[in-house]
Amino acid sequence: MVNSMAVNEEQTAEIEQFLCKERVERFLYEEAALLDRREQKAWLSLLDEDIEYKAPLRITREHTNDNFSSSAYYFDEDYGSLKARVQRFESEYAWSERPPSRTRRFVSNVRASKRDDGTVEAKSYLLLYYGQGDSESYTFLAGRRKDVLRPDGETFTIAKRDVYLDHAVPKIDKISVFL
Amino acid sequence: MSTPTEEVSSENYNSAEHSPLLSEIEASLEDGKLPLKAFNDETVHELELERLFSREWIFIGHESEVPEEGDYARRYIAGDPFIFIRDMNGEIQVLFDSCRHRGTKLCRAEQGNTSHFRCPYHGWTYKNDGELVGVPQKEVAFKNLDQSEHGLHSAPRVDSYAGLVFASLSDAGESLEEHLGEFTWYLDIQFKLPDGGMEVIGEPHRWVAETNWKTGADNFAGDSYHTGFAHHSIKQLGLGGDDTVGVAGAGETKDRHIHCNGHTTSTRMVEGEDVFMTYPDEIVDLFNPDNVTSEQYTAAKEALSFTGSVFPNLAFLNFGDITDDPNKDVTGFLGLRKWRPLGPNKTEIWSWALAPKRASEETKERIYKVYMSNFGPTGNFEQDDVSIWNGITDVADSTFASQHNLELNYQMGTEQMSEVAYDEQWPGPGTVYAINLEEVGMQKFHDQWFDHLSTPLETSRRPERSECAGSSECELPEDGE
Repeated sequence: MVNSMAVNEEQTAEIEQFLCKERVERFLYEEAALLDRREQKAWLSLLDEDIEYKAPLRITREHTNDNFSSSAYYFDEDYGSLKARVQRFESEYAWSERPPSRTRRFVSNVRASKRDDGTVEAKSYLLLYYGQGDSESYTFLAGRRKDVLRPDGETFTIAKRDVYLDHAVPKIDKISVFL
Repeated sequence: MSTPTEEVSSENYNSAEHSPLLSEIEASLEDGKLPLKAFNDETVHELELERLFSREWIFIGHESEVPEEGDYARRYIAGDPFIFIRDMNGEIQVLFDSCRHRGTKLCRAEQGNTSHFRCPYHGWTYKNDGELVGVPQKEVAFKNLDQSEHGLHSAPRVDSYAGLVFASLSDAGESLEEHLGEFTWYLDIQFKLPDGGMEVIGEPHRWVAETNWKTGADNFAGDSYHTGFAHHSIKQLGLGGDDTVGVAGAGETKDRHIHCNGHTTSTRMVEGEDVFMTYPDEIVDLFNPDNVTSEQYTAAKEALSFTGSVFPNLAFLNFGDITDDPNKDVTGFLGLRKWRPLGPNKTEIWSWALAPKRASEETKERIYKVYMSNFGPTGNFEQDDVSIWNGITDVADSTFASQHNLELNYQMGTEQMSEVAYDEQWPGPGTVYAINLEEVGMQKFHDQWFDHLSTPLETSRRPERSECAGSSECELPEDGE
């Protein structure tokens, strides 16, 4: 009896974990689709108003492969500055997105774990195709992300996102997309 | 369309192959124009590397980036790799990153701290001032090698002003002091005002854009004209004030374009007001009138912004009335940028943010955030600039532009285009335009650029083989083996 209860508890925990990861994946895929469809205002509604959204600069050091600046960033945003960027992209004179770029965000390698405070830590890889205009050229941005998500029914809101790009020196004219 | 003029004598140009191109450029310049192809042309690029970047004073970094002995950062002059390092005596060195034995690069990181560099190939080891101190198996393999003559090559000339370190790959030519000349009056306002000096926050942004380096340089050499149009979104969304990002020449501000010793700066001011680039009080309190002259202090006080260009490829902007979110306070920030040519159509943009060293961490963070929201690869200003600049690169190598010698117009501010008014009362040096609608500053940039391109390097300008690193006087280390 005791053993089978323990097995059941283990299974329940694993099922819960599985469910959590499934929900996180579903959320991240939908988020990526929103951004790729340029529904940036809808994307804003997925962000908590106390969001911390950061993408620190990668720094090449001699002995370790994964160093990031503690004071220099591609993005160091709060809700207000993200909202301003969205409004700008949707305005008439944001030349960096005229014409609007074509993006495809491939989100993979998702790992999710519940944290003691009820939030979920979600780690993912991101590969972002970026093309614009009628040119044959395109580029990719690659990196990993670490999010803190707040459960909201069966879905989530984003409380925190750290993006760690893989590029030492991005070969892209400008980063005019959200990661 | 212009044709090469008779007076242009090809004997000024050392190579017949370059002569038609240079004559064509010269003819355009005389008319306040520039051939479009100059912005994407392999020959022009090669001449720039050979005759401009190997001769001029090129910005390397700010002293605050290497505060401690042994601190180093990888830096470049065009394609050439250098190590920007503070040696064990506290002296700043700019060392060519190449082992004297077989030539490979020694520096394997972007930044760090080290007392020595050891070559990964055969183990030759250099102190952080460039002195060769270790040669494996020396007694057997290299017993007669004079180590004192095999230190890392130093950039032939290294000098600094107000924390800005420059190097020249030529051992002849004007000194940095002569190169900057009276333009230091304007650099002082940006770099010397606060007690404790300025420091770089974090690491510089670096990214590679498909644009020609001269397009960025042009933009900072007095292009107030583009601000109200290219950056209209900033004004529209309330991210920058009318006076900073409004249409040039249309506002209430006192606008000036200044050409001084081959460099340029432009400013927008509010006469009689305490503006100080809208820095928060904490920063303004650090601005000490004793650090500059009273005229410089007044200029800083009234200024909403200064942008400028130091020939050839350094630019700065001390930019006020700007924010990352219309609901937050505006601030000023000081940015430095370097246009590093990687090819005729490719530039690595380097962009630094600076703040007074004695500012609180909180204020530094705020200044950085506003800098990053507006400049750097994600900046609301810079994104739009670079997207537009690429279009110039695209058309500059067109067959049409080349075959028909299409020219770009830089005539604004010349008598043929507009009424030119000068500010004779201006307290600082230089030619001072009483309006920010003029492109003569860019013409002057082009003229100097052309002077370099049309002047062959003398062969004697190559560094001596035996030159030791670590001292411009080339003293031998006392305890060298």
